[in-house]
Amino acid sequence: MRPARPDVTSSAGLVGGEKGTTVKMASPKTLPKDAQVMIQILKDMGITEYEPRVINQMLEFTYRYVTTIIEDAKIYATHAKKSSVDADDIRLAIQCRMDQSFTSPPPRDFLLEVARQKNQTPLPLIKPYAGPRLPPDRYCLTAPNYRLKSLQKKVSSSAGRITVPRLSVGAVSSRPSTPTLGTPAVQTMGSKVGTPVSLTGQRFTVQIPSSQAPSVKTATPSTPGAVQNVLINPSLIGSKNILITTNMVSQNSSSDSGSLKRKHEDDDDYDAL
Amino acid sequence: MTRLAVSAPGEKMAAVQDGGSEPEGEKEPQPELPSDGSSAPAATPASKPEEQQQQQQQTLLAVLQFLKRNKLIESVDALRREAGLADEPDEAPGSEAGGGVGGAAAGSADSADASALLSRVAGAAQSGAASAPAKGGEDQPDVSVVLSAYSQQGDPSLYQVYYSGLKKFIESVLDCHRAELSQLFYPLFVHMYLELVYNNHESEAKAFFEKFSGDQECYYQDDLRVLSGLTKKEHMKGNETLLDFRTSKFVLRISRDSYQLLKRHLQERQNNQIWNIIQEHLYIDIFDGMPRSKSQIDSMSGSLAGEARREANKAKVFYGLLKEPEIEVPLDDEDEEAENEEGKPKKKKPKKDSMGSKSKKQDPNAPQQNRIPLPELKDSDKLDKIMYMKEATKRIRLGPETLPSICFYTFLNVYQGLTAVDFTDDSSLIAGGFADSTVRVWSVTPKKLRKVKSAADLSLIDKESDDVLERIMDEKTASESKILYGHSGPVYGVSFSPDRNYLLSSSEDGTVRLWSLQTFTCLVAYKGHNYPVWDTQFSPYGYYFVSGGHDRVARLWATDHYQPLRMFAGHLGDITCTRFHPNSNYVATGSADRTIRLWDVLNGHCVRVFTGHKGPIHSLAFSPNGKYLASGSTDGRVLLWDLGHGLMIGELKGHTDTVYALKFSRDGEILASGSMDNTVRLWDAFKAFDDVETDDFTAATGHIHLPDNSQELLLGTYLTKATPVIHLHFTRRNLLLAAGSYNSQ
Repeated sequence: MRPARPDVTSSAGLVGGEKGTTVKMASPKTLPKDAQVMIQILKDMGITEYEPRVINQMLEFTYRYVTTIIEDAKIYATHAKKSSVDADDIRLAIQCRMDQSFTSPPPRDFLLEVARQKNQTPLPLIKPYAGPRLPPDRYCLTAPNYRLKSLQKKVSSSAGRITVPRLSVGAVSSRPSTPTLGTPAVQTMGSKVGTPVSLTGQRFTVQIPSSQAPSVKTATPSTPGAVQNVLINPSLIGSKNILITTNMVSQNSSSDSGSLKRKHEDDDDYDAL
Repeated sequence: MTRLAVSAPGEKMAAVQDGGSEPEGEKEPQPELPSDGSSAPAATPASKPEEQQQQQQQTLLAVLQFLKRNKLIESVDALRREAGLADEPDEAPGSEAGGGVGGAAAGSADSADASALLSRVAGAAQSGAASAPAKGGEDQPDVSVVLSAYSQQGDPSLYQVYYSGLKKFIESVLDCHRAELSQLFYPLFVHMYLELVYNNHESEAKAFFEKFSGDQECYYQDDLRVLSGLTKKEHMKGNETLLDFRTSKFVLRISRDSYQLLKRHLQERQNNQIWNIIQEHLYIDIFDGMPRSKSQIDSMSGSLAGEARREANKAKVFYGLLKEPEIEVPLDDEDEEAENEEGKPKKKKPKKDSMGSKSKKQDPNAPQQNRIPLPELKDSDKLDKIMYMKEATKRIRLGPETLPSICFYTFLNVYQGLTAVDFTDDSSLIAGGFADSTVRVWSVTPKKLRKVKSAADLSLIDKESDDVLERIMDEKTASESKILYGHSGPVYGVSFSPDRNYLLSSSEDGTVRLWSLQTFTCLVAYKGHNYPVWDTQFSPYGYYFVSGGHDRVARLWATDHYQPLRMFAGHLGDITCTRFHPNSNYVATGSADRTIRLWDVLNGHCVRVFTGHKGPIHSLAFSPNGKYLASGSTDGRVLLWDLGHGLMIGELKGHTDTVYALKFSRDGEILASGSMDNTVRLWDAFKAFDDVETDDFTAATGHIHLPDNSQELLLGTYLTKATPVIHLHFTRRNLLLAAGSYNSQ
C-alpha cells in the first residue's frame, strides 16, 4: 500500500448525514485506490456491515503504523551504518513495536502455572465486624489528592531584591496583559519579597520554595483569613503581569482578598478567598 | 522437535523412556547419532538454510540432553566440542519452557524467538504427549515420531494426498461410523494447515486451505475465516488463541468400534503422518457403546478444543443452596409472619419452604456452611432479609398460565454506547455502564439518590437523634441520577452488591473499580487484568467478586484484598461472562472459545466443562435451586445444563441473534431470555427440567438425545420496537424488568 495520506474528507457514501449508517457505498470507481483495497480486506475478513468512517479509520491506522515502522527501521539501519534500509531492519522494527504496543496476553502454560500457585493458598478468614471491608489505605483511592495552603504569617525582612532561587519559565501565565489590575494582588504564601525592583518588560513566574516545614492542612476550607497577599506597587508591574508565587510570608498582608483575581498557578489550586 | 531439551516435562519423558528401555540405554545413543546425522539433512530438502541449521541445532541439543541424562559424559563432551556449542543454549529452552513469557518476549533475534516458541510448543505438547505413550504403551513410536516430525516437514505437497486419502476412507465406512469419524476432519485440517504455515510452506498451505476448507462444518466458519488470514509464521505468534489451540489437545469422543476401524486403516498404510498428528494433537476419548448419530455429535461439538473429556465432568459439585440463617423478627409488626421456626411452627406460611429449614440435617448436595468463609450478617443485612421475606409472601406464582408482566427500561440518546446494565436485588437502583467510560446510577423508585454530607456538615448534625441515618444524607445534592467518573475506557460490566452499598464496574482499561453508593465516589481500583475486563459480578453474599476478561483468566477477589484470591485459568479464548452460583461456592465462566466452565472457589479447580455452543457465550444464569445452568450465545440458542451430572439437558431454539440476557424467575418456573433481535422470550423452565428427571442418566456415555421441544416450551415472545435487550431482572414479586438502549437506525 502506498503510504500516501488518504483524503479524510472523501467519506465514502454518508447517506443523508445520518450518524452511524451501515454501508451504503458510493460506487467503488469514485473511491481512491487505498480505500478500495481496504474495502476488499474488510470483505475478506468477513466484515460486511460497517460505518463508512471505519475505512478512513483503518487507512489512517495503516498509514501511521507503516510510517512508524519505516522510520524505526531507518534508525536501526543508520545505527548499523548501513547505506540503505533492508529487510532485517524492518523485521527488527516490527518486532520492537510488537513488544511495545501490541502486547498479547500471557501464554496458557504460564497462566496455568501462576493459577496453580495462587490457588494453593487457602481462602483467608474474614474478620468479623470490621466496618467497610476495603484494602489497606495505600491501595484505595480514598485519600485526598489535594493539599491546602499553609497558613503561616511571617514577617519578611529582605530589602531590595527578590530572591529568585528557582525560575519556572514554563509556568508563565499566558494571560494577556491587563493594565487595570486593580490592586495588583499577587498570591503568595509568604515571601521574602523585597520591595521595588524594576521588573518591567518581563513576565515570569517565580517560585521560592519554602524553607519551613509545610503547615498542617486545615480540615475545613472555610477557615477565614488564610490568604496572604502581597501588595506590590503598581509601578512595578507596568504593562505586564508578574506572577510571584512564593512560600514565605510577605510583609504586607493586606485585606484585599475581595478584589483578588484568581491566578493560574501550579501549586495552589484551591485558595480560599 | 526438541522433546528432550525441555526441562520438567522432559524429565517425565525421560523417565518413561528410561523405565522402559534401560538396557537399551547404551545402544540407543549410538544408532541415534548416525540416524540423526542422516535424518537432519534428509529432513529439510526444501527448507531454507537457516531453518536447516536451526533444526540441526535442535537435534544436537536433543541428543546432548539425552546423553547427559544417561550419564554418558564423554560422549557429551566429544559432541559438544565437535559441534562447538556453548552451554547457554541448553539453559534457554529449558527456562523458557518453565518461565514462559519473559524469555520469549525478550528474544530479539528471530531465530531465538522461534526456538523459544518451538520449545514452548514442544513443552506443552510434551506434557500431553507424555500421556500418549502411557496410553499407547510403546516407546518406539515416540522416537519415530520425533524423527518423522522432521521428515514430514519435507513433504508439504503430500499433505493434500494424506487428507484426501483419509476423506476417501471415511466416506467408505459404514453409516453409523461415518458421523463419528467425520469429527476428525476439522482438527486434522487445522493442525495440518498450521503445520504447513509454521514450517513456512506458504503456497502449499494456501492450496491446502482452498481445497479443503469448504468441507468443514458450518459452525466452524468463523474460525476458518481467521485461519485464512493467517499465512505466515509471524502471524501465528501474536494470536494467543491459535497458539493455545496448537498446544492443547482437541478432544474427540469416539466409540470403540469406530476407533478400531480408524486405527487399523491408518496403521496399515505406509505413511503414518495422520496417525502422528492424531497422537500429538488429538485426545480420543473412547467409550463403549453405540456410535453417536450426527445430530448428537452436532449438539455437543462446536467449541475450540473439541468436546469435554468424561473425567472433566466427573467431580462432585455441591449444587445445593446454603441454609438460610434463622432470624428473629420483632413481632410488633402488623404482618403476622413468624420467622422464628422453633417458636411457632404452626404459623408458618406455606410459601416458606425455601426460607425455613424444614430438614435439620444437611442436604447432601449442598456445601458445608463454612466450606468457604463468608461474611456474617450485619444488622442491616438482617433487616434486608426480613424485607425480602415479606416481599416473598406477596410474590406472584408464575406458570404457563400466569405469565409475568414485563416493564422495559429503555435508555435513550445513547447511540449504542450502553454496554452494561445491572439492577439491585430489590429493584430500587439501575446502573448503566457506557462506552464513554462513565457509570450512571438511577433511582427506579421516586426516592432520590442522596450522598453523605461532607465532613464539615457532618460535624453539625445531632448525632443522638433517631433519624440520624437520614440526617447524614445531603438533601441539597439529591438527584435522580448520579454519574461516576473514573474509568478510562468503555465500561463492560456493572454489578451491585447485595447490601446496596457498593457498585462494581469493569472496563476496557483493565481495572475493576469499586464505588461507594453512599458517597458516590470511587473507593478502590483493582488492577490485575492488564487487558479489557468483559464482565464482573458480586457474590450473592457480598464480599467476593469475580471478574473475567481478555487475558483468558477469571479472577476471584475480595473487597479487602488488593490482589485476587483465586485465578481460574484454562479457557482458550476470552472470558465473556462470569456468574456466581447461588451458594457462592462455584463460579461459571462463559468464553469466546465456546465452552462454559464451572470453577470451585475453594481450590480453583475446574469441575465442569460444557461444550455445545457454536459461538461465544454472552449470558449465563443459574436456576434459583442451584441445580441447573442456562447459557446463551451468539448462535441464538439457549442451552440448559445439569450441574450435578454434567450434561446438557435442553436446547431452546427461537432467537435469531445473540442472547445477551438470561434470567430465571424467583422460584425458577420461567426462564426469560433477551436478545439482540429485539425480543424477550419466556420459556417454561419447570417443564424443561421435568422432562429430564425421568430419563436414565446412568448411561455411562451420558449421551442424551435432546427432544426438539423448543416450541412447546416457548411461552411467549415479546417484541420491542428497535431495542436490543441487554439485561433482565425479576423483581422480588416476579415482575420482569428489562433494559436496553434504543437503536435508532
